[in-house]
Amino acid sequence: MAAPCKATVVLKAVKKIAVQFCPFESNTRSTREFLALVGSEKARATNINCQVVSTVKHDKSEPVVDVTYVDGEQLVMKGANLTCSEMMSAFQSRCTNKDPQTKAAAKK
Amino acid sequence: MAATLFAKFVPKHGWLPLTQTVRHGSKAVTRHRKPLHILKQKLLAVTKYIPPPQPFPRGAYPSESDHNQEDNGLMLLQKKDLKKIFEDYKMIAVVQNNCGNAEDMVILKHRLHKHGISVKFFPNKVTRPFLINSIYCNMAPLFIGPTVLLVSKEPKVKEMLTSLRASPQMTLLGACIDDTLLSVQGIVSYSKLPAMTVVQGELVSGLTMLTSHTASLLQRHPAHLSSLLQQYIKQQNPNNGTEASPTAEQAT
Repeated sequence: MAAPCKATVVLKAVKKIAVQFCPFESNTRSTREFLALVGSEKARATNINCQVVSTVKHDKSEPVVDVTYVDGEQLVMKGANLTCSEMMSAFQSRCTNKDPQTKAAAKK
Repeated sequence: MAATLFAKFVPKHGWLPLTQTVRHGSKAVTRHRKPLHILKQKLLAVTKYIPPPQPFPRGAYPSESDHNQEDNGLMLLQKKDLKKIFEDYKMIAVVQNNCGNAEDMVILKHRLHKHGISVKFFPNKVTRPFLINSIYCNMAPLFIGPTVLLVSKEPKVKEMLTSLRASPQMTLLGACIDDTLLSVQGIVSYSKLPAMTVVQGELVSGLTMLTSHTASLLQRHPAHLSSLLQQYIKQQNPNNGTEASPTAEQAT
């Protein structure tokens, strides 16, 4: 339901992804699904230098995904009211914008 | 072309020639995308599927149907297994695993098995209703996404934490140790606790410190004790020395 259409997530333009959430809250479903997709072996194999760090807290804070790109840009997504597919589309659109060369070469 | 050839070769008494040239024009199976015939194009455009307009996107709201489905045999078995696990095992930790390959999982299982911790897999659809109906209902929100249970009879928290630190994809969410629900910080502080015997020893020694001190004092020689008392009185009343000393002599 929440999985993106493109099964592989390409992390070529990403330096670090930090996911923090509080598992006892009920608004963490989308963040956890996002983490499962991004932290999978396939995704990590696309870029070995990319760090995927997950922090588990217990202070009723909101779930936050902090993405740092190679060129210094940061994308902060607060997953409390977002679905996983929305987060994925936002993330992947920015990834494809950052990395147009490899994408164009692959498509051609 | 074929018709002319045919007419040329077939003689009057009608025998078929040895070679027959078949008409070859355009192929059906091509390597490139063959352009559609305009009629076929028109037909496809007319019969194209237009989905009905959705008032809200799919997945925005949870579906109201499928709430009460009967448990099939496998689910009942798994629920029984879960019940047994919660009864037998003292420590039940919930971990989210993002690792896709089985190799890492096998290595982790091996590492944990050395300390007597076993890894259990149950579908969330089975664990959630089981937990909600039992006393562990506060653990239910932990079971979202790919989760794994690490169970052990002895609460070996330190070893579990070291093994999990080695594999970065496994995220520890919480644990139920001795029927107490702990968060990650709670688990870390639990691992830093000393052993039960050490704690009990410290408590006992702290409580009996005063009484043991008194007992050791009383075992000293009485002359020593009386001299101590006299000194104490002198310290208490440095000005009224003459009044206090006759009372002290009467006491001894």
